[in-house]
Amino acid sequence: MDANNLFSVEWTYLRPEMIVLGGAVLLALLDLLAGRRLPRQLFGWLALVSVVLAGAAIWQNIQTVGQPIGFMADMLRIDSFGNAFKLLFVSGVAFTFLLSFSHLQRDAIPHHGEYSYLLLIGLLGAMVMASSADLITMFVGLELLSLSSYILVGIRKHRLASNESAFKYVVSGGIASAFTLFGMSYLYGLSGTTNLHEMTSRIGQAANSGFGAMVLISFVFLVAGLTFKIAAAPNHMWAPDVYQGAPTPVTAYLAVVSKAAGFALIVRLVLLAYGGVLTEQGQSLLLTELSGYLSIIAGLTMMIGNLMALRQVHLKRLMAYSGIAHAGYLLIPFVSLTQLSFEQVIFYLLAYLVGTFGLFAAIETISRDQRTEELKGFAGLYHRAPVLAVAVTILVVSLAGLPVTAGFFGKFYLLMSALANGRYWLTAIMLATSTISFFYYFGFIRQMYMRSGETEASVKIPAGAAFIIGVAALATLLGGLFPGLPSEFIHQHFNSGFDLGGIMKPGE
Amino acid sequence: MTVPVTSYLLVALILFCVGLYGALTKRNAVIVLLSIELMLNAVNLNLIAFAKFGLHPAITGQIFSLFTMTVAAAEVAVGIAVLIALYRNRETVNVDEMDTMKR
Repeated sequence: MDANNLFSVEWTYLRPEMIVLGGAVLLALLDLLAGRRLPRQLFGWLALVSVVLAGAAIWQNIQTVGQPIGFMADMLRIDSFGNAFKLLFVSGVAFTFLLSFSHLQRDAIPHHGEYSYLLLIGLLGAMVMASSADLITMFVGLELLSLSSYILVGIRKHRLASNESAFKYVVSGGIASAFTLFGMSYLYGLSGTTNLHEMTSRIGQAANSGFGAMVLISFVFLVAGLTFKIAAAPNHMWAPDVYQGAPTPVTAYLAVVSKAAGFALIVRLVLLAYGGVLTEQGQSLLLTELSGYLSIIAGLTMMIGNLMALRQVHLKRLMAYSGIAHAGYLLIPFVSLTQLSFEQVIFYLLAYLVGTFGLFAAIETISRDQRTEELKGFAGLYHRAPVLAVAVTILVVSLAGLPVTAGFFGKFYLLMSALANGRYWLTAIMLATSTISFFYYFGFIRQMYMRSGETEASVKIPAGAAFIIGVAALATLLGGLFPGLPSEFIHQHFNSGFDLGGIMKPGE
Repeated sequence: MTVPVTSYLLVALILFCVGLYGALTKRNAVIVLLSIELMLNAVNLNLIAFAKFGLHPAITGQIFSLFTMTVAAAEVAVGIAVLIALYRNRETVNVDEMDTMKR
């Protein structure tokens, strides 16, 4: 698209982003002008409406857009890759708002207005991260998501735990973004452009004309920084502390939306920036060699996440380590790229999204009922709320990756791609650590069915949480019974050309 | 006399390492935030040097550094705000005393 002036650009395709931005601005103004006088729930509902509208706009884009469309030389672009991730973010944020209604009612979060529009701004950042092919906009999107989540983590500012985890998040996030930027600055220096599509060939030329070492240095810095957002191995230490101190809906948001956004960014950046580099023998792509290092990260992440989770009794810390382990699994299709990797990633993220949000909704309900965030809160749940206990069982089984759930097929696809690429030791680590994960996931089941709780009184489940748990358990079961349906859907709408959602083509 | 690009890169790398060392070892939280700023400024130095002496010199690097500076300012503002909230609850700015969640 040749943009001579602002009006020659087809702005209508940016409706999802515009709706989210407009919603955030509207809420900020409302909060400023009439914050105290309005009913508290209003902010959440308005934000939820704008998220749903944005989802509808994304759906419309999916139906109408075939080839990737670029704005301002691909600073923002609309392609299937971005659309798929955006659909995930939007559903994740909608779940977050549903989950926060009960949380807000309890008066746990004093600042309803800020809470709602910061979540929306974070969503906007995530959407920009997934749909930009330019270093500058990628970085701004990344920081938009990071800065808003720092504040969201610390939003209960009178609680010490909340302050402390927010500060840890700011410091480790700042260091990580400095690393990312340092890598980006080398990429820029070698290519003289921030556009990733131009970069592909120029980095290849630079590597051939004696700057191979600098290409490698930039890769190391970038990966060191970017593993922070997905909470993978060298940069995972923040996750347990931050998850513990944050309000439960924000924790779920960090575990799903923020992680998926980081993943979208890593895939696009690494594939486009290093996709054109050949090894010194000129035989193969450097990327296949580099993915060996990425697979070490994946293996370490799986081991650390699953082993550390074994000794956790605090629910949110347990979920943090479980999230770290899932980040490790998710790196597998990226390490062993095939034509189907994109479907595998989206399917796995979908299963992870419903499983994690469902479980967090249950955790929110239980910790509110029992006034403890420890695993023993689940004790005797089967006798108090049998339906809830069965739903939680389905979700936990899905996260553990056992059959007749969506999580099983998600893991199965990843396993097949690792095997197809001959990464046998990675497959072995995945199988072994998945087995280890049964111990802590079955901790939930042991507590619910085999321990007796302190009371026999039935549990009161808030409507929002009940809705999420119901939808999540149903989706998990259906995804396990008919795994072909979601895979076929993803393939048809996002990857019909087997080209990773069209990320390699410059926008028109 | 022209200064070769490697000296700019070296200064930036040293600045980055000093910042990283400070961020990882200092006790005072304000100094930690300051050290993170040093790391981000090292990036700016890189970008500006590359905009003039890179393989393909272009103005984009200077534009990028403007974005970096803005974001760095926003980041440190959030950091200080969180630190002030923490200070009100705990009356300390020492990083090693922020350990209530250790187990």
